[in-house]
Amino acid sequence: MTFKLDYIIFRFINSVSSAPPAPRPSLHLDSGLKIGYGSPIAALESPIQLGGGTHFILARNGRGKTTLLRTIARTLRPVAGSLKTEGALQYLPEDLRFDQEMTAGMILRSLVPKKRLKEALELAERIELNLKRPYGRLSTGNRRKINLIMAEFSTRPDTGNILLLDEPFSGLDAFARQAFEEIWRSSSDNVLRLVSCHPDYDSMTLSSALLIDRSTIRHLTGGDQTWSELKNLLH
Amino acid sequence: MRLFRLTLSTIFLRKAWVICALCVLVIPFVLPLISSASEKPVLIQPARIQAAWSTLWIITMLWGYFTAAKQGEINATSGTGEYFLTTGLGATRQLWEIWLAVFIFILPMAVATAAITQFAASPADPAERAMWWTLNTQYLVLFLLVTGPLLCLAVALASRFGSVAGYVVTLGLTAYGLYGVGYLDNLLKLEENPILQSIWLFSPHYHFADLTQRLYFKSGALPSAAFWKMVGYFLGILALNTGISRVTFRTKLSS
Repeated sequence: MTFKLDYIIFRFINSVSSAPPAPRPSLHLDSGLKIGYGSPIAALESPIQLGGGTHFILARNGRGKTTLLRTIARTLRPVAGSLKTEGALQYLPEDLRFDQEMTAGMILRSLVPKKRLKEALELAERIELNLKRPYGRLSTGNRRKINLIMAEFSTRPDTGNILLLDEPFSGLDAFARQAFEEIWRSSSDNVLRLVSCHPDYDSMTLSSALLIDRSTIRHLTGGDQTWSELKNLLH
Repeated sequence: MRLFRLTLSTIFLRKAWVICALCVLVIPFVLPLISSASEKPVLIQPARIQAAWSTLWIITMLWGYFTAAKQGEINATSGTGEYFLTTGLGATRQLWEIWLAVFIFILPMAVATAAITQFAASPADPAERAMWWTLNTQYLVLFLLVTGPLLCLAVALASRFGSVAGYVVTLGLTAYGLYGVGYLDNLLKLEENPILQSIWLFSPHYHFADLTQRLYFKSGALPSAAFWKMVGYFLGILALNTGISRVTFRTKLSS
């Protein structure tokens, strides 16, 4: 079972790395950037520069995680300031959903590029996503799997990619989560992932984290920083 | 074309189109047989023409507009519109892809209706038959020119105001353009009224595109100049509808 998953991940890496080296993605948030719906709910005091790899957004409920992602995705205007992105963007809203009668297989066949469909369907099978079950009868976790597979296999190998993922892990089982984290590790060069989440175990390593606290957005880095340290910084 | 594929698969899976396709293919043959036309065989072909085109109009107005409105609303409320927007698929492109997915179901039904009229209801008289192709093609072109932009309007209105608004407005507009304008014209013949006259003037005269009676009475093809004038008129409405649709269409719920 583990062997097959490794094989899928190997193929994922191969499909990404067989192309000539792609431009690296980057995200630059200017100091003075203010986010919110009309009135600011959070602001940057100093500029933030992010490159390929996984970066987490941590904050308590209602502090602006989704607002920040939507501002970066440009579906929401910043209240003030500016930001710059380099790479093909995809923002996966937390409440993204599909027609209740569509099966998971049909959704993936419609949305994943043909070249990578086989891999995507193999991964779906490995993480126990029932491809024949209608979307309306899937659990929250299985619906998340569809969204994540769709986004991950829609990244473009010829260019840098920015994936903005809003609460991608809620409802996801540990096995599926591990599979996606493996993919994230393997493609960190040409994919910048900004992930809003509520970590569920203290020892989770978050080497790059954007903290939103007391209306301020800060970037904290450190190879060994864990959720147990970072959560004490949230009020 | 990912949004197009997704919308196409969604409509295909719901299967309501199967009932519509069956109606388009079966009603023109069954209805004349159970009507008074069955007692006068000479009336069967005109009855078939009436049944075929009426079925197409009804299906487009009831199922086509409803489907377009539903897809427009779903795109804006389910997060898919916002997702595609962030991938670089702008609002114009999204509107186009959703419209195309709906139109692809209407197009073959319209072609099938024209084919039924052409091959199963053509007149016996060679002179009348010679004009049959032209008239059928003219009707098909005008029908698509009228309903195409209205499908687009249904998508757009529903994305902003909900599927009920998108559906009811386009349904009402079509019914008004097909029949209401005629009643207004009759009113104006009885009594002159500058306000009503202006309303009549700026109303969409969709009844020009309904050539059923022309087929029914074998009146022959439209003169070329009149046909192109109508095409020009409906292209003008198409431009106006497309503009309104684009301005109204939105890809996500307002923030």
